[in-house]
Amino acid sequence: MKLHIVNRAPDAGRAVEQALSAMAAEDRLLLIEDGVQGALPSLVDEFASIEGRLYALHEDLEARGLMNRHDERVEVVDVEGFVTLTEQAERTLSWY
Amino acid sequence: MRYAILLMGAPYSDQASHSALRFARALLARGHRLETVFFYHDGVYNAARLAAPPQDEPHLVDGWAALHAEHGVTLQVCIAAALRRGLLDEREASRHGKSGHSVEAPFELTGLGQLVDVGLSCDRLVTFGP
Repeated sequence: MKLHIVNRAPDAGRAVEQALSAMAAEDRLLLIEDGVQGALPSLVDEFASIEGRLYALHEDLEARGLMNRHDERVEVVDVEGFVTLTEQAERTLSWY
Repeated sequence: MRYAILLMGAPYSDQASHSALRFARALLARGHRLETVFFYHDGVYNAARLAAPPQDEPHLVDGWAALHAEHGVTLQVCIAAALRRGLLDEREASRHGKSGHSVEAPFELTGLGQLVDVGLSCDRLVTFGP
């Protein structure tokens, strides 16, 4: 299992599209920085193909005033959870 | 686990440096070892000795230096990316006939081969891009 890390919103460039196309069936995706916008209900459908494997970083949601505005299908993790995700993955790939 | 971080974002231009430093502190707090932070592309500006941000903002250069002092993290700066951006240690400044230097210990100028070594020897390499 690999962890893909995306720091771009779905409508900013091709990072999300490229990450999704590179993901294997067990891989997970973590949204950080501006990428957390993808956790909003209006944008989360971009990630329909990986439901249950989508995470967003608490600190970056909070910094943008988006806590409690994210879709319930997104699992929110704090930075310690970010570290845990990297422990569980055999490697990480960053898309930016 | 043994971790390494690759940082390619410029300080204060995008969030990458702040994200990387926050991640570094979190993994150390969980008991992992952080072997190296490798600064590449615009990430090399994190090694600017003369950086003087406002006192009420995080001082990234000092933040990295503290990781070295407290946890023995090596701070490796890609020499090719650094020199062309005016980031030279005393040795390189002298070699290029410059009157001052802009990089000092604990940051060290190294080659890209070091990044390959880090990628091979560490359990996890996490990249923070611009």
